[in-house]
Amino acid sequence: MSTPADDSPEGRDSRAPASDSPQGAWGVVPPHDSVPPPPRTSSGPGRALVAVYGLFALAATARGVTQLITSYAAAPLAYVLSLVAGIVYVVATLTLARGTATSRRVALVAVSVELVGVLTVGTLSVVDPAAFPRATVWSLYGSGYGFVPLVLPVLGLLWLRRTRPRPTAARRSAR
Amino acid sequence: MIAPLGYAVAALALVSMCWGLLTAVLDRPPGKAQLLYAAGLELVVLVQSVIALVGLARGFRPAELATTIGYLIGILVLLPVAWLWANAERTRFSGVVLAIAAAAVAAMTFRLIVLWVPA
Repeated sequence: MSTPADDSPEGRDSRAPASDSPQGAWGVVPPHDSVPPPPRTSSGPGRALVAVYGLFALAATARGVTQLITSYAAAPLAYVLSLVAGIVYVVATLTLARGTATSRRVALVAVSVELVGVLTVGTLSVVDPAAFPRATVWSLYGSGYGFVPLVLPVLGLLWLRRTRPRPTAARRSAR
Repeated sequence: MIAPLGYAVAALALVSMCWGLLTAVLDRPPGKAQLLYAAGLELVVLVQSVIALVGLARGFRPAELATTIGYLIGILVLLPVAWLWANAERTRFSGVVLAIAAAAVAAMTFRLIVLWVPA
């Protein structure tokens, strides 16, 4: 709902003719609100980020499913982890691509799990190579995939931080 | 899999990757020729997968059969999805999206060539 101040005729009409630019109509808005809103998580560089996430969603999920079907007994823990990693990538891909407030929260959880996962599995695979044959995307910090699995969650968290919603004039007047 | 065809696919894919990165650096969305090239690349990838799957149907058994089949089918998905995702919002990053898919096609093709040894 708009407040009386928003509808004040002087606020708009006295300024609108003074300027040809569309900004003239927003003259009543304090300057810091004229900063453009942050991009959606699926926009701009986010398109490329979602593309990489999608690629890893496909790669890790397919790998996990294939391993579980063909040779589950060989390394059950590693193969289940492969599939878990794949599901985390799928969730991150879909939520970053949607970019709504709710999906942002889910994306934050998924990307955090991903970071913890690659650090934990990466470290365990170095400390105890026998338990973790190079069979998951996260083994040896993702060295089999050019360390992209290690960099990706960091970029994901930075991107979520960069695109976090700022309070806007509309939201403030709604309060 | 025919190794020379595989290397040709990988080379064509690497050209597509460089093209995507170039338009990104120039801050332009992908042009028509670039998108047609990506479509042509997809056709060649499709031919490669069909030839290999026919080979499997005729009884050739590579060492890692499940992985090979997964790669032959999965590689077909990348470029169409990247194409749609790149065109839904046309910016410099559309080129990056195409480059990512093309790089993956090249990497998967190299892997397929390596996997294509008798069991």
